[in-house]
Amino acid sequence: MELSEDDVLHILKLIDESQFDYFQLEVGDLKITVSKGEPIPLTAAPQVAAAPAAATAPKPAPAAAPAPKPEAPQAAAIPPGMVPITAPILGTFYVAPEPGAPPFVKVGDMVTEDTTVGLIEVMKVFNSVRSGVKGVVTEGVAQNGQFVEHGQTLFLVKPT
Amino acid sequence: MSVTRVLIANRGEIAVRVIRACQSLGIETVAAVSEADRESLAAKLANRAVCVGPPRSTDSYLKTNTLIAAAQGTGCDALHPGYGFLSERAELAQACADNKITFVGPSAENITMMGDKLEARKIARAAGVPLVPGSDHAKNPHEATRMAETVGYPLLIKAAAGGGGRGIKLVWDKNEIETTFRTAAAEARAAFGNDTLYMERYVGNARHIEVQILGDQHGKLIHLGERDCSLQRRHQKIIEEAPAYAVPQEVRAKICNAAATLARSIGYRNAGTIEFIYDNDTADFYFLEMNTRIQVEHPVTEMITGVDLVAQQLRIARGEPLPFKQSDLKLHGHAIECRINAESPQHDFRPCPGRIDEWQPPQGAGIRLDTHCYPGYFVPPYYDSLLAKLIVHGADRKEAADRTRQALASFHVAGIDTGIPFLQTVIDDPEYRSGSVNTRWLEKKLEAYGAAHGG
Repeated sequence: MELSEDDVLHILKLIDESQFDYFQLEVGDLKITVSKGEPIPLTAAPQVAAAPAAATAPKPAPAAAPAPKPEAPQAAAIPPGMVPITAPILGTFYVAPEPGAPPFVKVGDMVTEDTTVGLIEVMKVFNSVRSGVKGVVTEGVAQNGQFVEHGQTLFLVKPT
Repeated sequence: MSVTRVLIANRGEIAVRVIRACQSLGIETVAAVSEADRESLAAKLANRAVCVGPPRSTDSYLKTNTLIAAAQGTGCDALHPGYGFLSERAELAQACADNKITFVGPSAENITMMGDKLEARKIARAAGVPLVPGSDHAKNPHEATRMAETVGYPLLIKAAAGGGGRGIKLVWDKNEIETTFRTAAAEARAAFGNDTLYMERYVGNARHIEVQILGDQHGKLIHLGERDCSLQRRHQKIIEEAPAYAVPQEVRAKICNAAATLARSIGYRNAGTIEFIYDNDTADFYFLEMNTRIQVEHPVTEMITGVDLVAQQLRIARGEPLPFKQSDLKLHGHAIECRINAESPQHDFRPCPGRIDEWQPPQGAGIRLDTHCYPGYFVPPYYDSLLAKLIVHGADRKEAADRTRQALASFHVAGIDTGIPFLQTVIDDPEYRSGSVNTRWLEKKLEAYGAAHGG
């Protein structure tokens, strides 16, 4: 039995959604070890990071659209060493608690897992977005007031 | 009532079906997808896809507010709910109306009326449509026991909030009724958040007959003939046919007219289906429930009428009048639909998600396949197991069944198990071929199949 890259991605995804903190799979010569959070307690098998790669290819916009063209967001590759903060839900993204107020975070700011980095509004309900990662904000990817999908990259963070 | 860009608030084969109908009318589409469906065929075919949440449908396809926000954020002026998920929740239709999004379906009011199965019985009675002898709301086991004397045994205890085969319990005699009533109430409370129960007499030798209707926004409503959906497993349809070959012509006409009368009585618009029970022994028919959406098995009606029902849904939603009248309806030949599910017939039909390594569907005269599958597609474990609907048309039932037999035999799938081997035994069964079946027939075949294949 051979595992394709596709299979590995699916395994990672299933683990990511599971309750398990640690997972090891051995198929023939191939060994996959995955851990969420804390360092791996066992032998030093290389850790596979479950990078939430946004894989949606942008679709060509249809001609003569009466409303704004239904273009999918450009799924830019995540630069090596960076971790994205992604939208936990679909909606309208805001960088500040209210219009005119200073933004929750700016490029260069230190964030911890619990830092609020923005708001996403769905049907007049505002949901705060937590960083989920500790590090320095290196780029604001999503614009204030932009419609974002579930899983879309909002910020890039260099973990510390 | 403009329909220029439609949010497809569903997944699987019906999402693909709706996208194709939109394309045929020059309408743009946005596929609402969960994380697990980012690579789905619907996501590829639509003008764009928008991810609405994690794989679990309660976090994505069942979130009304998120779907409305997705429609607004992508500039959609209409939303098609497909079947299942939120298609029969008045809340979604109402939210669309409140946000000036055209809901491709009936009014929220009509969905509410027909969603309450007790209320639906009252509407049918008022419209003069025959009902299965039954009771009103039975509030407790003692009342149920008393009412059951009038209804007669065996009977069914049904949840008013149920429907589509869910929330039904069979009671053979009065020794069972108290216990079964309590179980049914608890289950209905858990499943639907509503434990209103009523009873109906159980028709043992029955066929499930349903009528397709279409109503426009200008007061015109017609029926498009009926379907026979008697072959069911645990109240889920497996094989559907049109027309209802075993019901006498004059009774079929009565059933279709009753359906149209009922739908007209509530000013119904868009596509809908009215389900009936037909008693094989007495040739009586009774109203069962109304489904206020497009049905899984709509293609068999399309094959014998030549009408694209989903395109009609979109045309009706944008205010066009129906382009034909009742007398224009002509039925041609016979159509059979087999539901191909990701399941293992050798292992008690347990669901079988995973990657489809090979996918070679049949081709040929009279063969249509509605599917979202392709070679290499990963069938996610989060949703129902429907992979494809094989719809086969023939000049008569025999030709349709012969072609179905051939099509199933040449349908090659590898990587996951499907129900195809079991469907083949059904299509070859002499009782099936002669048409002497009822709603319990398939369950017996399943038991026999399980015994023969070590299930």
